[in-house]
Amino acid sequence: MIRRGFQVAARLGHHGALPGGPYILPRFSPASAFGSSMDSLVSRFCQEKTDLKNYTLPNASWCPDMLNLYHEFLEKTKADGWIRLPSFKSNRNHIQGLKLPLALTVTSDKSDCRIFTRCIETEGQGYEYVIFFHSSKKKSVCLFQPGPYLEGPPRVRFAHGGSLAAMIDETFSKTVYLAGEGLFTLNLSIRFKNLIRVGSLAVLNIDVEKIEDQKLYISCVAQSVDQQTVYAKASGTFLQLQLEEDSSQY
Amino acid sequence: MLRSCTAALRTLRALRGRRAARDPVPARRWFSTEKVILKDHALPNPSWSKDLRRLFDQFMKKCEDGAWERLPSYKNSKLVKEQLSQAQLFTRGYEDGLGFEYVMFYNDDEKRTVCLFQGGPYLQGVPGFLHGGAIATMIDATVGMCAAIPGGIVMTANLNINFKRPIPLCSVVVINSQLDKIEGRKLFLSCNVRSVDEKILYSEATSLFIKLDPEKSLT
Repeated sequence: MIRRGFQVAARLGHHGALPGGPYILPRFSPASAFGSSMDSLVSRFCQEKTDLKNYTLPNASWCPDMLNLYHEFLEKTKADGWIRLPSFKSNRNHIQGLKLPLALTVTSDKSDCRIFTRCIETEGQGYEYVIFFHSSKKKSVCLFQPGPYLEGPPRVRFAHGGSLAAMIDETFSKTVYLAGEGLFTLNLSIRFKNLIRVGSLAVLNIDVEKIEDQKLYISCVAQSVDQQTVYAKASGTFLQLQLEEDSSQY
Repeated sequence: MLRSCTAALRTLRALRGRRAARDPVPARRWFSTEKVILKDHALPNPSWSKDLRRLFDQFMKKCEDGAWERLPSYKNSKLVKEQLSQAQLFTRGYEDGLGFEYVMFYNDDEKRTVCLFQGGPYLQGVPGFLHGGAIATMIDATVGMCAAIPGGIVMTANLNINFKRPIPLCSVVVINSQLDKIEGRKLFLSCNVRSVDEKILYSEATSLFIKLDPEKSLT
């Protein structure tokens, strides 16, 4: 259990003030850290009773590989401890009742913001993905099907490197948040091996390697369904930052 | 149709070589072919903030003596030559101001690419901030362009990004990318992401790109 205080200013302050001025961020309170609170973190994230559109439900653009694996994992959610993570239009929807520590609230907070990976509404054009999370193993699996908008090199229908980088960062983000309240990416390191054909399925296997010094270390292997082709290997480091209760909602 | 478009692009490359003076007034330019009109997205539109416009004007001035060149940005992949299309379909798929607003400038002598980037509300990650993946996309696009101009058809091999601080949504940043060295088919690049006044360093990145053999199949 992490008990010591947590001052992000020490890390970020080295490079000058955060936008808006220098701040000392609140202490990381161990009281609401892991164990049973992870369950509450997950259930709060998943927002079971909601009218919000869930983008991780199958749609007509999903290829057969994606549908098959999706159903396979859906079966695992019944008994094996896997959870299918919903995906809403904005990260705000996942953290209702919570907010960033005061120091990090920015004024350019428009209501019509969308999470980057759900910015393209048309089915099948951009990022089609669903993430399954296993809380005790601290693992995730992401089924990712890049659409034609993510095309890179011309004349050949492959997704460009940046799109896979974004998908890896997004899956990392959700995993570290649920595994240990990780919030900001500190480092992202990706070794690209092969290109992903647009419209085909890439399977991302993610593991949280360790949690230490208010940082979460996480790794990923992205490969084809049959595991014959490795698309990329990646590692990332995330900063732990506890969200605060948003009393303005009550 | 393709031929007339490639002719236009050949002209651009020739201009770079001859260090011709550039038109400093950023008029909206349309390259028309028989059937399709190409819109250049790397020009100011109403969603551009004052910071972005100011920087754009500064760089357009630098283009006047030919050391710098503004890179046009088209949405349609069929009509675009290899170097210019990487990661641009996706990044141009938004209404003005909602997603990626950016323009890239290239300096051939210094082998440097500068991207002025304004990330809109559809690129959110942590509420109020730009998504790490959106930043990674723009870094990849900028270093990719820096690699593609000398290297031709290239592919990202490694991308290593250190995020120093989060970028507030709708702010303008300058992505400065440099070709460090070439070893055979390997191109080594580095880049940093700073605020407009250069006082805040948001991210640093290094990357390796590989020049692809155009004869070989990619699969």
